[in-house]
Order: sequence, then structure tokens, then C-alpha cells
Amino acid sequence: MLEIEGASINYGPVSAVRDVSLRVEKGEIVALLGPNGAGKTSLLSAAMGLRPLATGSIRFKGEDLRKLDTETRVRRGLTLTPEGRKVFANLTVLENLELGAATRKKGAEIHHDMEMCFELFPILAERRHQTGGSLSGGEQQMLAIARSLMSRPSLLMLDEPSLGLAPRIVRQIFRLIRDLRDRDLTILLVEQNAHEVLRFADRAYVLSTGECRYAGPASRLHDKDALMQAYIGELVA
Amino acid sequence: MDYLIEQALNGFSIGAQYSLLALGLAIVFSVMGLVNFAHGEFIGVAGYAMFAMAAMGMTNPWLLVLFAAVTVVIVALVIERIAFRSVRDAPPTTGLLTAFGVGIVLQNLFLLLVSPRPKAVPSLSALNQTVDVWGHNFTILQFLEVGVTAVAIGALVWFLKATRIGLAMRAAALDFTTVRLMGMRANRVIAFAFAISGLLASIAAIFFIARRGAIDPFMGLLPVLKAFVACVLGGFGSLPGAVIGGLLLGFVEVMLIVLLPDKLAGLRDASVFLIVGAILVFRPQGILGKRVELGDKTA
Repeated sequence: MLEIEGASINYGPVSAVRDVSLRVEKGEIVALLGPNGAGKTSLLSAAMGLRPLATGSIRFKGEDLRKLDTETRVRRGLTLTPEGRKVFANLTVLENLELGAATRKKGAEIHHDMEMCFELFPILAERRHQTGGSLSGGEQQMLAIARSLMSRPSLLMLDEPSLGLAPRIVRQIFRLIRDLRDRDLTILLVEQNAHEVLRFADRAYVLSTGECRYAGPASRLHDKDALMQAYIGELVA
Repeated sequence: MDYLIEQALNGFSIGAQYSLLALGLAIVFSVMGLVNFAHGEFIGVAGYAMFAMAAMGMTNPWLLVLFAAVTVVIVALVIERIAFRSVRDAPPTTGLLTAFGVGIVLQNLFLLLVSPRPKAVPSLSALNQTVDVWGHNFTILQFLEVGVTAVAIGALVWFLKATRIGLAMRAAALDFTTVRLMGMRANRVIAFAFAISGLLASIAAIFFIARRGAIDPFMGLLPVLKAFVACVLGGFGSLPGAVIGGLLLGFVEVMLIVLLPDKLAGLRDASVFLIVGAILVFRPQGILGKRVELGDKTA
């Protein structure tokens, strides 16, 4: 579904990602792991068209994305729940969801999807008239995911959804991600919380200092040493 | 007492004009972080559009007003497209300089194509007729200014709350990147912001021209400065702040006209800025501005 080939991303003279290839197939949960500053967020930004690629290519459902702007990529079924949630703090929960459906026209369908979001996250239904800024961190994360779902994506990219949340909320978010896959959604998940994610991801990539250190089944990283090795290279074996 | 009541409405109606101009500045600023100092030239565009149509023999004031408003909106959209879009991602100072440049170009167009001297636009002067309301003297124009401004603000509030593009504009004030991630087209949101700011400016311009009965190439300079002050006073980027700042500025001005002896009348604008300065010493973020919000802006 998503194919990134030989991608490099630069911030001025600084190279953030070097020659990374990544592939997500329909129906998969793919984990993109790695320490802080490894280039994970840069890669997602490039997939959304917020960052240009210095080299390499990105294809989505067979189509070359490089010429499409961010807004058009959303229309093609790609969506990103950004790091730090980026809920619209001055808008109500309902208004946040409404904006999430910005690419769609049919009012009845949008309304139906909102009800679906409220079923997935009953707390949001309770808070529907509250502003995004008044929600707790966990509620904001739920709103950010629900808002992404409102565009009816076929590939959902989540950037650090567990960041700064209590363990109980994190488990709830991860359970939801598995539920979403069962609802026919494909997921690319960026996380620092590697151990938890590897339990339910199908495949994993490990990025470190802008380079790909591991690409393969998630199960092979269940072993602590193997994960460690992927993170910091061959030195620790 | 009579005099005070009459001047109070006067303060309201002048303040209403400043509010409309300040709102336009604030909308564009909140969406794209640009202080559009060419905003004042929208008044000139409205004025010269009316002048040109009147010169061609159009006498119906309604049609003149409509033509002025449509022209300003189109000019606002064209300016956004050819001048501001290309510097959208540039540092804020580049946008500011572009705005000054656009203003100078427009002023010089008026100067070259029409005349450097003031021209009479008397078509709306009938609005300055006084009417007697319970023994007080008001002009029709004053009621129109207050009434139309109230309707325009009401319509704007509805637009921002009930339409998707309005929601996007409010969201973009905080974080434009995430608005784009929703699939909302940045170009559309910004074009709408310019169109609305142009529309509001054209309403203010029509009242401004009705009061003065004349136009000149540099007529927009002082009003845009006042609108800028109104924005600062209310809290820059805050839309309610722009309205309140505009009204306050109108009241302070009229109050000074009433209070200052004739000999010191020349100090009116200086005194206005002195009072505004004093207010900002105590509330540097403006009346409704929040310092935190500036820190929250991530786009």
C-alpha cells in the first residue's frame, strides 16, 4: 500500500534520514521504532508531503506521491495523527471532528462516522461541546485519532500516540489500534514504547540516527538482546 | 447632555469603522501571521472604484456601493494570489515589506491613473442629513455605521462557527500545519481570509467616503494605522479584541474632540496615541490578548 524507496531527508545541511526504504501492506500494523531523533517523524512528514524528499520515492496504492501536495494525499486515503496530538485547543470536540472530515461532502455520512467515533470513544461523546484544550492528555489523543478517522483513511499513520500518557491509557490506545486493524484499516505506528508495540505489530522497522537498522517481522525483536542490537548496532551482541 | 448623547453615538459609529478595519487585519494575521499594511489601500480601491463608476454616469448609490465592495474583494484576492502567496513561507518581515510594497504600488496607481489631488465623490453625501430623534440631532450615516457593523460582525461570527472554512480559519490561527493535515486546502482558507478582510474593509471604506465626500491616493494611511492600533489595543490576532479595540479607539478620539479646547485640537491624534500607550503600559498584551497564545502558535 505504501512504498518508500531509498528516502533521504535533509534539514538544511543536516541529514535527518539516509536511504531508508519502508513498505506497508494492506491490513498490516507496521511499527517504526527507534530512539529520539532517529528520523521517524521526518519520515512520516515526508510521507504526508510536509517535508520534501532529497532523494528516493514514495508511492501510495501504486501512485507516485511526490507531485501531490499534503491536502491531496489526504484525499487519496493517507492520514497522519501528528506527534503531540495537535488537537485544535480552541475548537470543541465536535468542531475538531468536523474539520477531520474536511475532505468529505456528504453530511449524513459524516454524522454517521461521528457517531462511530463516539462509540469507539464514549468519553468524547460526553465531552463533545468542550474545547479540545480542556481535555486530558489521554482524551486529546483519542480525539486526535478520532479526528484522523473522520477522513475515512485507508492508511493511518500514528506518531507516538502513547507519548506522555499513563500506562492504563496507553494500553487502552494500543487495544484500540488493534481494533482498528480488525476494521480493515492499515496502520503505520511510530513508537518509542517498543516492547508493548512489538507484541501486536506484524512487522517492524528500527531507525537509528537516520538509518534503517532492522527491517523484518516484529516477532524476531521479541527477544530483548535482538531489540537492543537493532537499536544500537552490532557492538552489543 | 444632548451634546454628550450625540457624541456617544458618534464615538460608536467612528469606533465601528475602526473595528471593521481592525477585524480585517486581525483575520489575515491570525490565519497567516501577516500584518497586511496594504489593508488601508482597500479604502482607496473602494473610493476610486466608486469614483470611476460615477464618472461613467452611474448614479444609483446602491449599485455604486455594491460595485465598490465587489471590486475590493476581487483586488484583495488578486493581491493575495500574486503578492502574498509567493512569500507565504518566508520570514514575517518579508511579508511585512511585501505589504508595504503592495500599498505603495496601489497608491501610485491611483496617483498616475487618476490624479494626485483629491476628487469629490458626492454620491453618498445624502447620508449626512441630520434626523431628529427625541430632540437629538443624528445623521442617518451614524445609525447605518453602527447597524451595518453589528450585522457584519454577527455574520462573521456565524461564518466562523457554522461553516467548515470558518472552523478551519479558527483552527489555523493556532496551527496551520495540522489544518492542512486534515486535507483542508491552505490556499482556500487564506483566500477566504483575504476576501473577508476585503469585504469588511469595503464596508468601512464606504462609510469613510460618505463622511468625507472626497477621495485621495493616500486616504488609507491613517485608517490602517488606527486599525493597527485598535488590534494592538485589543490584543493582536484576537478577533473580539479587534472589535473592542476599534470601539475603544473611536470613543477615545471622540472624547478628545469633546474635551480638548479648540486651541489644542491639533494634538488630537497625538493624545490618542498617548492614551493608547498608557493602556499598553499596564496591559502590554492588549485587552483580550493572552501571552500564552503566542507561545502556542506552532504553525
